[in-house]
Amino acid sequence: MTIRVLDPTSEATPQALKPAPRLRSLKGKTVGLISNGKEGTAGFFAHLDRLLRERYQVANVILRTKANYSAPAEESIIDEVRNWDLAVTGLGD
Amino acid sequence: MNLLSKHYDLDSSSDVQEFYHSRGWTDGFPIVPPTPAAVAACLDWVNLAAKEVIGIEPVRERPITAEKLAINAVMAGCLPNHFPVVVTAWMAMLQQEFLLHGATASTGGCAVLVILNGPIRKEIDARSDFNVLGNSDRATSVIGRAIRLGLINILEVSPGAIDRSTLGHPGKISYCIAEDEEGTRWQSVAQTRGFPSDVSTVTVFAAGAPRQIMNEWTTQPEEILETYAAEMRANMRNYSIWSGNYVLVIPKQHRDLLQNAGWTKSDIAETIFRQARIKRGEWSSVGKGAVVRDKGDTEYTALPSPEHLLIVAAGGPAGGFGAIIPPWLGTKSQAVTAAIGVCIDCEPPSSP
Repeated sequence: MTIRVLDPTSEATPQALKPAPRLRSLKGKTVGLISNGKEGTAGFFAHLDRLLRERYQVANVILRTKANYSAPAEESIIDEVRNWDLAVTGLGD
Repeated sequence: MNLLSKHYDLDSSSDVQEFYHSRGWTDGFPIVPPTPAAVAACLDWVNLAAKEVIGIEPVRERPITAEKLAINAVMAGCLPNHFPVVVTAWMAMLQQEFLLHGATASTGGCAVLVILNGPIRKEIDARSDFNVLGNSDRATSVIGRAIRLGLINILEVSPGAIDRSTLGHPGKISYCIAEDEEGTRWQSVAQTRGFPSDVSTVTVFAAGAPRQIMNEWTTQPEEILETYAAEMRANMRNYSIWSGNYVLVIPKQHRDLLQNAGWTKSDIAETIFRQARIKRGEWSSVGKGAVVRDKGDTEYTALPSPEHLLIVAAGGPAGGFGAIIPPWLGTKSQAVTAAIGVCIDCEPPSSP
């Protein structure tokens, strides 16, 4: 005798997102950094800012910090992203 | 009943267990096979169609359907009469202010504490006395487990996937309690949050593990409450200083002393609000001096206001014990109470 059982997962197919074209060089570009605002982010992103400018000749580095580190970035930050050539976001624990 | 989920035909009960475990669809314990008949019985009990959307997880925009909740509830061991609690808990968890994605993904490792009030407690034989924060009864054990299995399977909140908890805690297996409304003269948690006593409610709270206290050496309400407040201050120093909802679980022995002295929940909340506060400089005494900076004299309260304290009358009849249950992320994730059988996202009826 077989037992028929049901799938407990969402069965949703994740929406395929198309990545933005990769940059060939960072020279002269604008890079945005999205910080989650945790304690460790200050040193991490300050170091990254310096590396991007000194080693990769990035023209502008813009730092934005989320209001809540466990929630998505605010719309105002997302709106700014379209003006950047590259965005870096990640944890700062 | 037209069920929409993919189905599998397996040869034996042990095959079912291995099939689900091997796909990461369990919490490690055996599951009850979610057969179409068992799932349909849950949906029939709440009069919901399989495709009914209970809510949408706001960050990843995942719709949560009644059928998927029912499958996971059956797997957890729920009977159909437990299912209204599961559905209502999810409705509450999907409210923006609960911050479900953060609460389930955070390294902080909180669990979803579910607090039951009203007639539903008796309908499902939920117990509120012995071992209330442990395996007190069938209903609360399987309801709490159903929440976790739903998170694992519908939102991929598996350890190392969406769940990035550094430690987690045992409440992540099951974390559901019912208030001992018959054993107290106090208002219930639901009443203090604006619901009538004859309405069944579910309160969800993104919570750390319970921290147990003991004070059997006084009958004075102020002294009893000072022990609870001291544990909250310890949590503020050692875990997180940010204010938010806190839960106090007050068992019978302390409750009787407080009630017989004429103390209401409101009196207790006022006292705890006054007593549970620290100065940032106290971080220096627990090895966190590096982040005191020039704010050593700044005072932080555990509660933004007395109303943020959820006092639950529950626990066994003897013992001068109690517990505080701290918030995961201060006010950034708030406790949410929802009434069973009421759609909190429905459009209001259109005017004639």
